[in-house]
Amino acid sequence: MLLFIALIPLLGALLPLWAGGRRGRDVSVWTTAAVTAASLALLLWLSPVVFDGVVLQANWPWLPQLGLNFTFRLDGLALLFGLLITGIGLLVILYARYYLAERDDLGRFYALLLLFMGAMLGMVLADNLLLLLLFWELTSLSSFLLIGYWHSRADARQGARMALTVTAAGGLALLAGFLLLGHIAGSFELSTVLAAGETVKNHPGYPVMLMLILLGAFTKSAQFPFHFWLPHAMAAPTPVSAYLHSATMVKAGVFLLARLFPVLADTDLWFYLVGGTGLITLLFAAYAALFQHDLKGLLAYSTISHLGLITLLLGLSTPLAVVAGVFHIINHAVFKASLFMAAGIIDHETGCRDMRKLNGLFKYIPWTATLAMTAAAAMAGVPLLNGFLSKEMFFAQTVYQAAAGGEVHWLLPLLATVAGIFSVAYSARFIHDVFFNGEPINLPRLPHEPPPYLRAPVEVLVAICLLVGIAPAYTVGPLLAIAATSVVGGPLPPYSLAIWHGFNLPLLMSSLALIGGALMYWQRRRLFRLGDRYPPPDGKALFERGLNLGIAATRRLTEGLENGSLQRYLALLIGVALVAGVAGAWQGGELTGDQPLPPVDLLSLLAALLLVLTTGLTMLWHRQRLTAIILLGGVGLIVVLAFIRFSSPDLALTQLTVEVVTTVLLLLALRYLPSDALPESMPSRRLRDAGLAILAGIGVAALTWGGLTRPLQPELAEYFLATSLPGGGGANVVNVILVDFRGFDTLGEATVLVIAALGITALLTGGFPLPIRSSPRVVSIEERWPLLLRMGARPLLALTLLLAAYIFLRGHHLPGGGFIAGLMTALALATQYLAGDFRWTTAQLNLDYQRLMGGGLALIGFTGLVSALFGYPFLTSAFTHAHLPIFGDFEIASAMAFDLGVYLVVVGAVMRILLELGQANAEENGWKP
Amino acid sequence: MNFVAPDFMPVLPELFVLAMTCLIVVVDVFLEQRQRHITYGLAQLTLLGAALLTLFSYAQAPVTTMFGHYIKDAMGDLLKLFIYLTSAAVFLYSRDYLRRRDLFKGEYYMLGLFGVLGMMVMVSAHSLLTVYLGLELLSLSLYALVAIDRDSPIASEAAMKYFVLGSLASGMLLYGISMIYGATGSVDLQVVADSVANQGADNLVLVFGLVFLVVGLSFKLGAVPFHMWLPDVYQGAPTSVTLFIGSAPKLAAFALLMRILVEGLGALQGDWQQMLVILAALSMATGNLIAIAQANIKRMLAYSTISHIGFMLLGILAGTPDGYAAAMFYTIVYVLMAVGAFGVIILLSRAGFEAENIDDFKGLNDRNPWLAFVMMVIMMSMAGVPFLAGFYAKWMVLQSIVNVGLVWLAILGVVFSVIGAFYYLRVVKCVYFDKPEQNEPIEMSLDTEIVISANGLLLVVIGLYPTVLMTWCATALLN
Repeated sequence: MLLFIALIPLLGALLPLWAGGRRGRDVSVWTTAAVTAASLALLLWLSPVVFDGVVLQANWPWLPQLGLNFTFRLDGLALLFGLLITGIGLLVILYARYYLAERDDLGRFYALLLLFMGAMLGMVLADNLLLLLLFWELTSLSSFLLIGYWHSRADARQGARMALTVTAAGGLALLAGFLLLGHIAGSFELSTVLAAGETVKNHPGYPVMLMLILLGAFTKSAQFPFHFWLPHAMAAPTPVSAYLHSATMVKAGVFLLARLFPVLADTDLWFYLVGGTGLITLLFAAYAALFQHDLKGLLAYSTISHLGLITLLLGLSTPLAVVAGVFHIINHAVFKASLFMAAGIIDHETGCRDMRKLNGLFKYIPWTATLAMTAAAAMAGVPLLNGFLSKEMFFAQTVYQAAAGGEVHWLLPLLATVAGIFSVAYSARFIHDVFFNGEPINLPRLPHEPPPYLRAPVEVLVAICLLVGIAPAYTVGPLLAIAATSVVGGPLPPYSLAIWHGFNLPLLMSSLALIGGALMYWQRRRLFRLGDRYPPPDGKALFERGLNLGIAATRRLTEGLENGSLQRYLALLIGVALVAGVAGAWQGGELTGDQPLPPVDLLSLLAALLLVLTTGLTMLWHRQRLTAIILLGGVGLIVVLAFIRFSSPDLALTQLTVEVVTTVLLLLALRYLPSDALPESMPSRRLRDAGLAILAGIGVAALTWGGLTRPLQPELAEYFLATSLPGGGGANVVNVILVDFRGFDTLGEATVLVIAALGITALLTGGFPLPIRSSPRVVSIEERWPLLLRMGARPLLALTLLLAAYIFLRGHHLPGGGFIAGLMTALALATQYLAGDFRWTTAQLNLDYQRLMGGGLALIGFTGLVSALFGYPFLTSAFTHAHLPIFGDFEIASAMAFDLGVYLVVVGAVMRILLELGQANAEENGWKP
Repeated sequence: MNFVAPDFMPVLPELFVLAMTCLIVVVDVFLEQRQRHITYGLAQLTLLGAALLTLFSYAQAPVTTMFGHYIKDAMGDLLKLFIYLTSAAVFLYSRDYLRRRDLFKGEYYMLGLFGVLGMMVMVSAHSLLTVYLGLELLSLSLYALVAIDRDSPIASEAAMKYFVLGSLASGMLLYGISMIYGATGSVDLQVVADSVANQGADNLVLVFGLVFLVVGLSFKLGAVPFHMWLPDVYQGAPTSVTLFIGSAPKLAAFALLMRILVEGLGALQGDWQQMLVILAALSMATGNLIAIAQANIKRMLAYSTISHIGFMLLGILAGTPDGYAAAMFYTIVYVLMAVGAFGVIILLSRAGFEAENIDDFKGLNDRNPWLAFVMMVIMMSMAGVPFLAGFYAKWMVLQSIVNVGLVWLAILGVVFSVIGAFYYLRVVKCVYFDKPEQNEPIEMSLDTEIVISANGLLLVVIGLYPTVLMTWCATALLN
């Protein structure tokens, strides 16, 4: 049953949308009212049990693993709020029907209103912190949409956005607070949490948690200094203001304070934070309300002030203060809703809300004026009206606190009286300025009495004001009692709800407030002048200035951090990596391992120095590309020496050939780069880069040191050394790995090489633009192809080919192999092109490199397939020995065919790339393919 | 030396995608431009086929194959399914956009599918080597994709930056991997984990390895301070590519963290937790703060990605099963939101017009109320508004770190999501409250409209009933 109270409006929100679309306005009113009435009826039906002191609970599991369940509880507090929400809701629905203009979309309005109502009901009924929070956020959202209902108006949009920003921010703070609270209490179920008061208050996380939760509550209830959104939310249609900003949404904050009262209250921190904020808000807003010229603005500030009063009462933490607070929640909702509605009528009838123009309306709308004046009197705390009672109780509480001594003494009653004076003064202003005080000035239209249904809700509410004010014990007494009981969480001390308590201090304070307020209003002109000179700070301007400052700051941050410069990004990346590395090293642990290093010999030292020198020179001359490339080649050659020194001839051979080929390739590719040097970067940046480079170099050196002084992981090497000969039939482990153990990989690599060569061909055949140069120098054949080189190159070809064959054949056992042989062959061929005329050489050699690569790849694949043919897995190898004169004994393995494939692919691919690059070169000199 | 064939069955989806992609490359060569939709269809078919293969072989218990380099487990399978799903959506949203820009070429789908394959390999990696291979396959595809519009200087610049920085980061990752290998003698994550558990954090080489791994991973994730490439790439790349980069790879990135940090280096949790705390805090702060100042919505979403990555890290650094599940849930939800958000951007773009400024969204409600609604749902979900998927994602990660006692970090997260809410809601305000600056109708094909609607509604459905996805995540991480 409980579930439906909140669910009916939430689901019912679809009805007016549907009804508003095709049926008339009245249909949507009736459906909305029916939905609300259904909820109200359910509440009333359940209420007798609650009055007996039973807490109704209902539980539907939803997300048990998150601790989030649909659990609801109906206790006194929830019942009180539920009745307020649905009761005033019904009146607002009726009021809005006549208030909103024909062109306004009623369906949408009612849908949003019901959505909000459902969210509010869900919030007050929730028995789970998370559920409460969900509904809390939903109220923020739906109120955002309601405030922005007239979304064509700029102030409505701004007001809506500000309200949402502030309350949503508060909501998220609340989320963090609830997370903590749930964590401390061990459950998110309210029943458990409420019982865990002592644990929570003694927990070290209590202050943080309390502050976060209060942040949520204060933003929602517009407490100082988060009050500024409420006056600007007055751009909402008046029915929304009457509903949200008097009776319901702004009360959500105080509801939360009341709901969590047993867990959080009664600590010093609570007293100072809640009480202090309440007091400041009460005074500040009452003062500010006096200076508002906008009718609704006055009411908004007065609402803030009254909310501050309630917050202050809850902050006092005594049971009687709670009773007074709860009582004032009811009273304020009733008289403020009626005041908003009355203000709406005036706005509706005159088209104006400025109190400097609205004067003397009494004679035009006497009945509405009477109603509004009664409600305003209730707000001022005039006897026989409900506001008087709760204000009296409030004064009594301040006196009681003062009498109890302690930290607060006479200041509290004094300030309370001052606030009372302000409150009377602005109420007087509302009454006198609007309904008397001469004649209306320049009103868009002169008012007359509104349609009776627009006024009816006001009449009902004012009647309640009177009834409660005259006979409190018979009207709200029981409801107040159960509500306050559920807030305090225990029996209430005796109190009396009478109008007359005899002559005492509170009565004196009330009288003082009334007289002082009247006096203050009488002297208002002087006060207004003062107010003009020292206007109360405008929260909105501050909010927006803060916002703009924030945006400007983030913009600066963006420019500093994200200027689009790759260099800066790189510097940042390396710098942070360095810091991270140093931080890692800081944690301790030994950098140097226990592996002794081999002794340093002179030769190695010299080579290392040479390496450093060439690298340094490369860096220095990197703008002169040719020099840089040649120096880079030098670096590679020294690495070859290092390989030889550490006895890996195979790697040395590979490195040697690869180095030469890459240098040639780079030189050819140089043609495609613009010849003019790039501009030098600024000295400061070069300094930064140099610093980073040196630091990073030191870091890497340290890491290398750490690696070198630690033992190797010998398993892999031992495995290959042991199985190379018996498994692959070769003593040259590197080659056996390439063609046998990891033959599959080599197949893949060979394919990649072919694809790369073809890709380069495809890229360059399309006509790759060469940078424009000054007209080619006319050179003689002799200068271009020196005779000595031409003559020397030819025998070199034969020799190199022979060497390549040798290297290839012995490759399986001794340093060598197809890859190195291939590179050598390619180099020999390239020399021919370099030494002679390109066209002539091409014609002479007459080699189709594309076919060469293709054939090589096919051969590799074929070798693999043969083994498959014999029933072995793909690429299984077989080998035997053969003896040739001169070459000696060598291995004929199926891997040999495989290696031949590699050889062909390498020759073909390298030549293909070289020729493509060289061809462009030749074309520039007038050669056509 | 005999070649022992591994069990290929668990790798079937990967093999299928690989074979189909190669097939598509070949088929595409023989197609004329007006037949290019065949390529598109085949690409979608590939994803569908892979999804079916994964679905029917959904792992009950983890299986390793490929000599321990590959693992098929429920986490991987679930992530893969979402990778297919989001990639399919990406292909669909991009189709018309590419067609209008003369970019409707086979390369987009080919590179996209290779990227998907890379993600699949990452997700199922069980050795540092496979992780690296998958990552590079993905990265290389992405580098090329960013530059796919070769006439756009901004795209080329973005691709160049991405490539240079990405290569450097890959280098660091590799460096880290080699150190881990040096310290443990293996790249197999299980062996690494055992070895690390034995020697602890005293070994400096291990610590260095971890540092470089985290640096490399953070770069790939785009966590601050390694995020520099992300905004430039998001903004510079054609929106269809941004859409791709911004969605499915985040799922793979999550898997990457899980595999390396949790499965491989779980014993060093104390060390990497500290690093991730810094990264997460910085990411949430920088991402959310800078996003406020952006006028370009792609750039804004880039910073929003950075902040979301920060949140996702929160779940992982919690170091508990709940935290991992929360992070996984977060990632999946985030990816669904990102696909939707970029999807809307792409749908608003026309021939010769890129909807990339927030102002271009003004008055979307007047032009197309349904699309406006979808955008609102996505933005609010990103902001973490209750009853939408994004809320539970945030809630779960926050709860997981509160449970391990990192309350201050949770509060920081909340503070920055408040700041984040501001710029998401600004978009909503533009969409609903501002006057439209242009009135061209928004062209959408029916299938696109259906999918983008489903995308938006999915966030609502997950928001109302998140249990299903949460349970999937939790159970996927159990085995």
